[in-house]
Amino acid sequence: MNPVARSVRDFCVSLRLTVVLLALSLILVFASTLAQVDLGIYTVQEEFYRSFVAIWHVGNIFIPLPGGYLIGGLLLINLLSAHIYRLKLEWRKAGIQLTHSGLIVLLLGELFTGLWQEDFQMTISEGDTKNYSESFRLYELAVIDTTDPKMDEVVAIPDAKLAKAALIQHPKLPFRVATKAYFPNTTLARRDAAALSPAAAAVPVATQGIGGSVAVTPLPLTYKMNEINVPSAVVELIGAEGSLGSWLVSPHLGAPQTLSHAGRTWRLELRIARAYKPFSLQLLKVTHDIYVGTDLPKNFSSRIKLTTPDGRDDREVLIYMNNPLRYGGYTFYQYQMDSSRGQTGLQVVRNPSWLLPYIACIMMTFGLLLQFGLSLRAFIAKRRTTAKPAVV
Amino acid sequence: MRFTILPLAVTTALCFTISGCRDPEVTTYRVAKETPPAASAAAKGPAAAGPATMANTPVPTADGESLTWTAPAHWQAKAATAMRKGSYAVPIDGGPPADLSITAFPGDVGGERANVNRWRGQIQLSPASDADLATAITRIENSGLTFAVVDFANGQQRVLGAMIPFRGSTWFVKLTGPTTELAKEKPAFLAFLKTVKPPSTP
Repeated sequence: MNPVARSVRDFCVSLRLTVVLLALSLILVFASTLAQVDLGIYTVQEEFYRSFVAIWHVGNIFIPLPGGYLIGGLLLINLLSAHIYRLKLEWRKAGIQLTHSGLIVLLLGELFTGLWQEDFQMTISEGDTKNYSESFRLYELAVIDTTDPKMDEVVAIPDAKLAKAALIQHPKLPFRVATKAYFPNTTLARRDAAALSPAAAAVPVATQGIGGSVAVTPLPLTYKMNEINVPSAVVELIGAEGSLGSWLVSPHLGAPQTLSHAGRTWRLELRIARAYKPFSLQLLKVTHDIYVGTDLPKNFSSRIKLTTPDGRDDREVLIYMNNPLRYGGYTFYQYQMDSSRGQTGLQVVRNPSWLLPYIACIMMTFGLLLQFGLSLRAFIAKRRTTAKPAVV
Repeated sequence: MRFTILPLAVTTALCFTISGCRDPEVTTYRVAKETPPAASAAAKGPAAAGPATMANTPVPTADGESLTWTAPAHWQAKAATAMRKGSYAVPIDGGPPADLSITAFPGDVGGERANVNRWRGQIQLSPASDADLATAITRIENSGLTFAVVDFANGQQRVLGAMIPFRGSTWFVKLTGPTTELAKEKPAFLAFLKTVKPPSTP
C-alpha cells in the first residue's frame, strides 16, 4: 500500500476521528439550539443539519461549523471503514457487526428522510373534494395551459428556481420564463406613486396584468413559527419573437392572471407548492367534541370519503387524533380544525424511508443482545474451565 | 488498497450525489379543472339558498366610503383578498367559472384610456386609440354614479368591464371569461351594475 493510501485509510478508520466528529456534533447541536431562537426550527434544520457547512451568526460574527451532512457523512465513512478494517467477519464479533450495521442504517435513514420526506398539509371544507396537498413553506409558479375545456396542463416552477433569477425554458412552454425580480417576503398595496417607499419604488413595474397598479414592498424574512413568508416576483415571458411582457405574480394577489399566446390560453399563478395525489379525499363531516360543561377539547375527527379514479377504492374513513389514515404511501394526520367553518386541516406526510429507524433499532438491539450473550457464554465457559481443577 | 478506496469513493459519491437531488425541479402534470373551493363553500351560504333572481343581501365593501352591490344569485362569492373589494365565480356552461373582480384604487389610475388598454393587453388586444375609445365606451348613469362600460373580445377571451369614479377613487368591475359564454352573461352583468350604489343610497 502506498503511503498516501495508507494515511487516508488511517484517517478514515481512526478512533480519534470518531471522537472529534462526536465532539463537533455536540457543538453543532449547541449552536443550532441557540440559533433556533432567531431562525425557527425549519431554517435551523435546513441550514445546520441538512447542509455541509453551517454558518452560526453570533451578533456580527459569523462562525463556520461543519454541517450535519458533513459530520454525518464522515461518521458514516468512519464507521464503514472501521467495519471493514477493524472488525473481522467471525462469529464472536457478529454482535458488534450487527450493532454497527444498525448504526449505519440509522445514519442513512436520517439522510434519506432529509432528502425525500414530504411534509405537506391539506385543508378541506365540508363537501369539498381535494386531490392535492400544499406545502407549509414552499411556493411555485404555476404556468397553466387552460385551453382544453376539461383538463389543465400545469408546468410548476419551484420558487427556489425563480429566486436564482434563472432563465427557465421547458419543452411544454412556448415561451421562456425570466425572473426580473424576486422577493422572498413581501406585502402588496395599491400603487400610489406619491406614497411609494424607496424599497417599493425600486421594484420593477410589470407591464401586463394587474401588476401595473400594485406596489410591492419587500419585507425582511420572518422565521416565526406562526408567520409565513409570502414571496412576490416579476417574471418576463419571452416568446420566439421577443418579449410578451412582464407580470407581477404573488400569492397576495388572490387571483390568477391569464394571457393568450400561440393560440392557447395560459394562466399564471404564484401559489403554495402543491403535490397531487392519485386519489381524492372528500370531507363529509368535522367533529369537535369537548368535555361536558367545559371548553376543553376532547376529540377532533374528520369523516372523509376516499376515492380513486379507477374505482378500486371508494370508502369512508374516520381520521382522528392518533388515528391517521395511511394510504398510498402517505399518512394523513388530524392537524387543525375550524369546526365553526366546517373546515379541517390534515398533515400529509410521505417518507419512503420511515421504516429505516425501526429496522436500525431492531438491528442494534439484537446486535447488543447477541454480543452480550456471546460474552456471557464465553465468560461462563471460562469460569467453568477455571473452576474444574478445584472440583477435581 | 482496493478495499480502502472503494467504500470511501462510493460513500462520498453517494452523499454528494444524493444531496444534489435536493434541488427542486420543474414538474409537469395534467389535472382536471377544479371548481374553486371558495365557490363551493359559498354555495352552501344563504345567497345560494335564495330565489333565482337577484339575491337579497347587499354586500358592503371593506372601507368606510365604499360602494355596495347585490350580486345575482347564481354568482358564487369567493373569499375577499387584499386587492379585491369583491370577488365572484360566475358559472358558465361547459367550463370553469368566469372570474369577476371588484377593485378600487385612488385617483383615476391613469385615466380611462390607460385602464381600457390595460384590460385589452390582458387578452392580447392592441391598444385602442382615443377615437376607438369614444365608440368602445358606453356610459350609464345610475344611483348618482357614472359607469363607463366596455366589452371587447379576442375571439377566445372576453372582458366585460366598468369603471366607476367615486369620491376621489375609481372602482373597477371586470368579468373575464370565454367569449361566447360571457355574451350570454352580459345581461346579468349589466343588471348587476344597476345594483351598484353609494352606501347611503337606499
